[in-house]
Amino acid sequence: MFFYILRRIPQTVLVIFGVTLVTFIALQIGGDPTYLFVSERASPEEIEETRKMLGFDKPLHIQYLIYLSNLVQLDFGDSLYYRQPALTVILETLPATIELTIFSMLIAIFGSIPFGILAAIYRGKWIDGSLMAIAMLGQSIPSFWLGIMCILYISLNVSWLPISGHVPFLMLIFQGEFIQAFKNLPTTITYLILPSFAVAFYSVSRNARLIRSSMLEVLSQDYVRTARSKGLSEYIVIMKHAMRNAWLPVVTIIGLEFGFVISGVVVVEVIFAWPGLGRTVFDAISNRDIPLVQAAVVVISLFVIVINLITDLVYAKLDPRIKL
Amino acid sequence: MKKLITGVAVVFGLIFPSTFTIAAPPDDTFVVGLPTDTIGLEPAQISSRHTANIMKHIFGQLYSVSETGSIDPNLAESYKISDDGKEYTFTLKEGLTCHDGEALTAEDAAYSFNRVADEDLAFTGNSAGFVYKSIDFKEARADSEREVTIVLGGPNHIALGLIAEVYVHCKDSYEKMSKDEAASNPIGSGPYEFVKWDKGSQIVLKKAANPPIPTNFENVIWRVIPEASTRTAELIAGNVDMITNASPDQVEAIDASSTAKVAKVQGTRRMYVGFHQGPEFAVTPGGAAIQKPEVRRALQYAVNVPAICENLLNAPCTRMTGIVNPNNAHPNLEPYPYDPEIAEYLLDQAGYPRDANGVRFEITLQAGEGRYLNDKNVVLAICQYLDDVGVKTNCEILDWSAVYIPLIKEKKAGPMYFIGSGGATWSPLYDMADLSAPDSGPNYTKWMNEEWFKGWKVINNTNDEYIIRREIDRMLEVFYNEGPWLHLYFQPDFYGVSNRVNWNPRRDEKVDLFNATLK
Repeated sequence: MFFYILRRIPQTVLVIFGVTLVTFIALQIGGDPTYLFVSERASPEEIEETRKMLGFDKPLHIQYLIYLSNLVQLDFGDSLYYRQPALTVILETLPATIELTIFSMLIAIFGSIPFGILAAIYRGKWIDGSLMAIAMLGQSIPSFWLGIMCILYISLNVSWLPISGHVPFLMLIFQGEFIQAFKNLPTTITYLILPSFAVAFYSVSRNARLIRSSMLEVLSQDYVRTARSKGLSEYIVIMKHAMRNAWLPVVTIIGLEFGFVISGVVVVEVIFAWPGLGRTVFDAISNRDIPLVQAAVVVISLFVIVINLITDLVYAKLDPRIKL
Repeated sequence: MKKLITGVAVVFGLIFPSTFTIAAPPDDTFVVGLPTDTIGLEPAQISSRHTANIMKHIFGQLYSVSETGSIDPNLAESYKISDDGKEYTFTLKEGLTCHDGEALTAEDAAYSFNRVADEDLAFTGNSAGFVYKSIDFKEARADSEREVTIVLGGPNHIALGLIAEVYVHCKDSYEKMSKDEAASNPIGSGPYEFVKWDKGSQIVLKKAANPPIPTNFENVIWRVIPEASTRTAELIAGNVDMITNASPDQVEAIDASSTAKVAKVQGTRRMYVGFHQGPEFAVTPGGAAIQKPEVRRALQYAVNVPAICENLLNAPCTRMTGIVNPNNAHPNLEPYPYDPEIAEYLLDQAGYPRDANGVRFEITLQAGEGRYLNDKNVVLAICQYLDDVGVKTNCEILDWSAVYIPLIKEKKAGPMYFIGSGGATWSPLYDMADLSAPDSGPNYTKWMNEEWFKGWKVINNTNDEYIIRREIDRMLEVFYNEGPWLHLYFQPDFYGVSNRVNWNPRRDEKVDLFNATLK
């Protein structure tokens, strides 16, 4: 396993290099961002001076090489808007996104399992039909619309949950303020429920359908019939014998899902005023804050790479036939 | 299984109340809902209105512009101008203190002005860019404990209002901080002290121990709520006291609630369609047509501006008579009425009759999307109005930041383009400074009218208020008759205001919370 992880490092470096190049080109296609950093009535001289100050007067390949040489020293440059190191801005907003992502993933995983299993067990019955209809709905509803509806009906009309905002937990943990963090936890969760639900509803629906079909396949296997014939309870048959094999395709999807959820939280972070990385990237793209966007893309890429690595390791653990 | 479900339900019920209510803000706290976060908290680097609105609560200015347009004492109590008009000497009020506890002296004020111009710090934005270039800032010096002098390159009739845009910060603290630290730790001189900034979430301020101007609320919280419908929901729920940029399509919902109302105000931002006068567009049929003042004048009659305001902006508005905001405008000029028959008649007279297809000439109108209130639909409506009088208009809606702004700033948008330009209530000259010289930055039309630019020479060579006003009115007449703008409207601004508070919006997009009170 150790050597497998070592082998992945050069791949990771290549991926990061590719990501920086693509991001750089994509941002440059948008044109010279200098105009967004001058006053409304700026003169041509002021525009030119600002261009020089921001470093956009240099040829593109030189700008990219400067960026790469700084990157290997873990210097992502300063955010043009916040005027702080881009990495600092990202690390300040990352914990909120991790909270949202983890909570969404928990909903996606633990919401989909019972639905998928119930649908498989009651195949063809009204429970199956209802659950699959909900799953179809979940895959059709855009998260931004769902988010707004949740705010309107759950927060505004019946006041069950807060409308928007964030109460920090992970950030306090990272800062070593454990007591305050755990004091915050119940409130943090109340603020997390709606945005996480809006992010996870699609995943719950898709995973439930996946688990259902996977379970149906496994439940028809001989070893499941054998387990039943041995007189084991249905609960043991499903949870211990069938579920382990039904999990394999789900684990693969969950790994990929992290990337999907991180991209999905951008819109939801905007709707729920969640001060996370997704919204920071969204704002940075709108503001053409190139160093911040590049730093964020690298950090998100690393995040997704690590999650995929963990998925591979878990997959190997679950399926002894796979050797790393 | 049933036991498990019941257990989970009980635990959940214990942790979370059956109905969740966020407490409304305490009586001593005013909460504002903003669409975007501040762009840093560096007083020398401000390039957005929202940031400036937050900063003006933390930092004092020597003088400040009131909501009526008067320029009133703030940290300074008086000022005098040298005979040559190049030196403005301000006398600070007595007993001012910085938020770091030190006395605020002329040295702090001079330091603040010189820091903005410090090339090593390389500040960009409003003060370092537009303001300092406009007043040709040379230096600031402390003449005594309470007297600070700002030295300009030459006399300037709008210098005082521009100096009022510079924020005074505290020398001792700022000298100790690195540039990075200063960007997020403002040590101010204004009515409110900085408490904390949770990036992307909120900025918390508390009343300063010794505020230089009176203020009512003990605490001010600026909450960042990007989505307009979420801001509206927070307002209706009573969690915020005021929201900026309320969406026009949510006015009805807010007004129908029992907790808040919408305050509409006609802003100072002048929305117009520019007629590019440069030779690069004169080679096209439409570009050539709009070189003629007669054609430009005819098109003023072709667009129904009040209907656009009423139907697309959800607010009544006054049509512009020119480049200047109403309180400073020419008293005898009336807005062009909507009269397509006159438009058609004038176009015929100008030598552009309809051809067999009913077309007089073709022209392109460019616009950026997403920057101004309902901009895309406004532009489409203008194109339709122009089509109706036989001017076949090709509407090009472009991406605002990547495509349109570079075109505008490089003066390559056209032959017609739609844009807004920030204005002011405190001086007609500020509004007119868009066209302060043929090569000025915001003269995107490349208008070269000699009569107009001759007026600047007259104004710059006199201090006689009567002569200045007379010349302004003459220039405004030139602009009315031959100007390079199709006059539209002053963009309305929408604020949602909770019934819990008394707060009135200003016309100039500035947000003051100093006079806000609890009902």
